[in-house]
Amino acid sequence: MNGEELKRSKIVLLSAGDNVAVALVPIQKGDILENSGKNIEARDDIDFGHKIALRDIKKDDNVIKYGEIIGVAKENIMAGSHVHVHNVKSLRADKHE
Amino acid sequence: MSELNAYLNPDGKAAPRNHNLILSLNSFCNTAAESIHRSVTPTVLITHPHGRNEIGINKERLLKSLIGNALNPNVFSVLVVGYENKSTSAFVNELRAKTKKPVESVLVLDNGTLGATREGAEIASRMSQINSEYSREKFSISDFIIGLKCGGSDATSGIVSNPAVGKTVDRIMNMKGTAIFSETTEIIGAEHILAKRAANNKVALDILEAAKRNEEMAMSLGVDLIGTNPVPDNIRGGISTIEEKSIAAIMKSGSGKINGVLDYAAMPPDRGLYFMDSPSAATEVVTAITAGGASIILFTTGSGNPVGSPIAPVIKITGNPYAAKKMREHIDVDISEVITEGKSLQVGSDKVYRILEKTISGRLTKSEILHHNEFAPIPVGL
Repeated sequence: MNGEELKRSKIVLLSAGDNVAVALVPIQKGDILENSGKNIEARDDIDFGHKIALRDIKKDDNVIKYGEIIGVAKENIMAGSHVHVHNVKSLRADKHE
Repeated sequence: MSELNAYLNPDGKAAPRNHNLILSLNSFCNTAAESIHRSVTPTVLITHPHGRNEIGINKERLLKSLIGNALNPNVFSVLVVGYENKSTSAFVNELRAKTKKPVESVLVLDNGTLGATREGAEIASRMSQINSEYSREKFSISDFIIGLKCGGSDATSGIVSNPAVGKTVDRIMNMKGTAIFSETTEIIGAEHILAKRAANNKVALDILEAAKRNEEMAMSLGVDLIGTNPVPDNIRGGISTIEEKSIAAIMKSGSGKINGVLDYAAMPPDRGLYFMDSPSAATEVVTAITAGGASIILFTTGSGNPVGSPIAPVIKITGNPYAAKKMREHIDVDISEVITEGKSLQVGSDKVYRILEKTISGRLTKSEILHHNEFAPIPVGL
């Protein structure tokens, strides 16, 4: 990532291989976003700083940001969806509910 | 690089500030301490709701925190406001054994709050005049202990402010400086990254152990970290899990070697980068790392956070363009141009370093200007 990319894009990929990107502006459902030369359509409204799925993420698959595991999918998440507390859970201090 | 101008304190340490400290030893001495503080300028004030019937680790941590903050390089004189003679003398004697600073005390028992205020104000007045005769001298960045903290984190913390401060910390470490970062709960999910940066195996194990202890504490309380950490404003800002918050939080410590894990409120034994095992809330961490000798704090924030310290200037840095506007009265360094104008993180880091130099040399932080003097010597917690 460099500064010019940040300025140009509406979303930023923080590490190659991440399955989520971060919104740099508020995104509206239906917006077409560019990531690494490919287009992706936003399936939800996504606030500034929030995450968008870059590809389909299956239930129990790892969610990867900064090249690190930040949690797992609680349900199947389709590419272009908002990724947040409603569909991701932490793997740490897990009460095993 | 511009010059750093700071004070040489009575213990021979470099200090960005030369405070005359009024320190209350327990909750019902706070009123006298506050009255002395209001009567005499310039003074700084430590009050807290603890100090009586404390036992075990609570007592130990409270004392470490109060002694450590009184020993902070920025403190040039101490007036202790205690209740009765035995515990107050014990505190004063412990402090005097560790410092050449003037340490005096007044008692509320048998004098009353008004009597202690009158006597204390006279002592504090003398100390203010003595402190005013110090002038600033030249120092280098490696003469200071820099405290690192993030609070009110959001998605921009991991993209802009923490990595930019991390670069600043790398630069300071290259100049043989010293820094402390903390927040044990906020290394959960990122402890493997820190362990790889440990100076040796013992440090790596200490880091992993600290994270494990905190995770087990959370689980033994039967709590879910979500809602507590990340807090609701973290979640509003796009952070979904503790792992996501932690991976971003540790970026503020840069990429360098971690020399050791410090106990709560402990001072670094040497130069270099240290991790302090401590609860994670902003005021609690700032209180703990100033007890460890940090005389200036680099504090990154996403949504904005007003916290300050009676002891050390707290420099607020944000990469969030919205917070930079909405919370501007609390922000010292706005580096949101990394997002809005595509500036590099290096540009942001250089800006942080310039303000750090200026603040060490006397520039006031927003937290100092707005009387944000929070102090929380928390016993034990997450």
